[in-house]
Amino acid sequence: MNTFRARMRFGQAAISTLAVVVLAACGGSNTPSGGGLGSGDLLVGVLAPFSGTDAGLGPAYYAACLAAAPSINSNGGVGGRQVKCQQFDTRGEPADAAPAANQMIASNSNLMAVVGCTSDEASAVAPIVDKAHVPMFCMTGQTEFNKTKLTYFHRLVPADIYDAYAMVGSALYGPGHSPYGRIALVFGDDIGSQAFVDPATNALKKLGKTVQNFPIHLGSSTFRTEVTNMLNFKPDVIFTEALGSAGTYLGEVKSLNGNKMIPFIGTSATIDPVWFQDVSQAIGVNDLVQYYGGVDLGYTFSGPAYDEFLTNLNAAASVFPKAPTYKQRGSTLHLYDGIIMTALAMIATNSSDPKVYNPKIKEIANGVSGAQVVTTYKDGVAALHAGKSIRFVGAGGENFFDQYNNSQSGYILVKYDAQGNEVTVAQLTPEQTKTISDAGGI
Amino acid sequence: MSLFVAAFGFGLVSMSVIALAAVGFTMQFGITNMINLAYGEVMIASAYVAYYIDQTGISIWVAMIGGAIFGAVFSFLINRFIYAPFMRKGTANLGMVIVSLAVSLMIANLLLPIVGYYSVSYRERFGSIVRLGSVVLTVNQMLIIALAVVVMLAIHALLRYTRLGKAMRATAANPTLARSSGIPTQRVIDIVWLITGALCGLAGTVAGLDSETFAIASGAGFLITALAAAVLGGAGQPYGAMVGAVVIGMVTELSAAAWSPDYKQVVAFGILVVVMVLRPQGLLAKRGALAAAG
Repeated sequence: MNTFRARMRFGQAAISTLAVVVLAACGGSNTPSGGGLGSGDLLVGVLAPFSGTDAGLGPAYYAACLAAAPSINSNGGVGGRQVKCQQFDTRGEPADAAPAANQMIASNSNLMAVVGCTSDEASAVAPIVDKAHVPMFCMTGQTEFNKTKLTYFHRLVPADIYDAYAMVGSALYGPGHSPYGRIALVFGDDIGSQAFVDPATNALKKLGKTVQNFPIHLGSSTFRTEVTNMLNFKPDVIFTEALGSAGTYLGEVKSLNGNKMIPFIGTSATIDPVWFQDVSQAIGVNDLVQYYGGVDLGYTFSGPAYDEFLTNLNAAASVFPKAPTYKQRGSTLHLYDGIIMTALAMIATNSSDPKVYNPKIKEIANGVSGAQVVTTYKDGVAALHAGKSIRFVGAGGENFFDQYNNSQSGYILVKYDAQGNEVTVAQLTPEQTKTISDAGGI
Repeated sequence: MSLFVAAFGFGLVSMSVIALAAVGFTMQFGITNMINLAYGEVMIASAYVAYYIDQTGISIWVAMIGGAIFGAVFSFLINRFIYAPFMRKGTANLGMVIVSLAVSLMIANLLLPIVGYYSVSYRERFGSIVRLGSVVLTVNQMLIIALAVVVMLAIHALLRYTRLGKAMRATAANPTLARSSGIPTQRVIDIVWLITGALCGLAGTVAGLDSETFAIASGAGFLITALAAAVLGGAGQPYGAMVGAVVIGMVTELSAAAWSPDYKQVVAFGILVVVMVLRPQGLLAKRGALAAAG
């Protein structure tokens, strides 16, 4: 009987524990007052996973802020106001992200922008941040934001559907191989990850290829049965992302395939030092260099904007030692640009009220007729003070926001070198891109 | 059909890893009455200790001993300096669960700046492949299965045939009576933390080896699986945890073969829920080595 009671106590305690774990907080919103640029420090909230399975994502965005802040602060700040960066950990879970977003907004009346908000939590936090009228730059490719009505939402990375088409392009037109005929799709079984599957499947099938979806449950400790099932399909190439689980999955592919890898093509999110480390540890750096192909936006990694970004990123190592490893991380470049565009928008409107400067961000990114192209915050401020309109082309290159604040540009095909640097191997031509998108049904 | 046979082989590996973790977890609860939610983080910390030893060129099978020793000492210290003072003050069971959750978070956050968020792998993760029909296992996986069998037999022998094992069972059944009968229950509990901590460290290293790569975030996944196996088999029952490990390990692999992998954890935890409804005390409650007499 005592034993039975002990079991019941165990069960009660376990249930209570779960209840504690899922406790969610609620919060409010704030609206900074407008009228001039005000005084005191400004804050950029880095709202992203810094712990949990996707803990590797947040640091890339934090690095962007650490690089952007000195670009602004050493050039007079935003009307004299210094920009600071602060992490707000979402743990990659909507249940943790919503309270984190509410706490961030409730505790900081000086928020000038929010960066981060990955596919893990964007659906939960974007409406909260939007309601608080704070411009945000989110790192999510989720389809639901393709035609979002959130006016403070900005996306400088492509929607997943474009990544999917670029991967198809890599499989069909990539250098060093004949077009692949049998393609295995290996993405997480969550809604966000599966967004790659339908467009890729549609395009590949209409172009006469054989394709099969092999979803995996991200975070599982092994995928042996799933890998065996996938290998039975005898694919020529694997399309994947599998953030957080790529090392385990691809390591098992190599192990169960007789210590021989199969070519694999990754999304633009796989151009990431954490992903590189994960996979290179699992399959060996030589196999990663040989068998991996990726897709990415067409960065040049050169020019005055990139040089300033790189200088500041390297200097940020004193605060965050891993910062320099993000020198070729697309999202780091884009968020750096997003923060600087926001600061320029504040200068342009002479306002710290987001309702006033938010619309100006798009104008500065896209440019208007006769706008002067600037590549640094310093040049942008000088041009604005000279009464000119500006178009900011930053470290991540040109931006083209559509009516839903989604920015989209062309793709390149890339590989890694042994040190984890991105190497461009080809560029998709407009004709190739059109063939794929027509087949996929855009 | 061949996929099912292959999945059965993988199930043997999974259940071996889970058994090593779940038996230690359930013994901690059975004897000390402590639901230790920091167990997963101790596993991952031990896996990292083994990793750093492995990186010096020492075989992972030797480094594993280092992981086990670290797990033993770390668990002992956590109990001695954190859990035991709270228990002496009469903190309720739910309070102790919260304390262990806090310890779990502290370990994870203390580890993060030390080990970083990058994944790591042991050097010897690729072994030769052995094919037995459709069953394909690496030598490392076969060694993991053998290790689990040896450890389970050792636990059985300890509990059944040694004075210490009898003292553990007596302490689990009724600590007050055990103490009145001359059993040094405090020393027994200290030894239990050392033994179960060693199992925890061993399980963490084996799980890291089995996963090809692991990272700081892997601890939560390890804990959930061990907790599920322990509850399924009957909380506090080592043999129950072994049975729970067999069920969870096999079901996750076979269901991934039978249906979409989307459902493998759904099926495993669905079985757990059904068992809890039909038999709340778990599959082997009152039959395990730590069950109260009568």
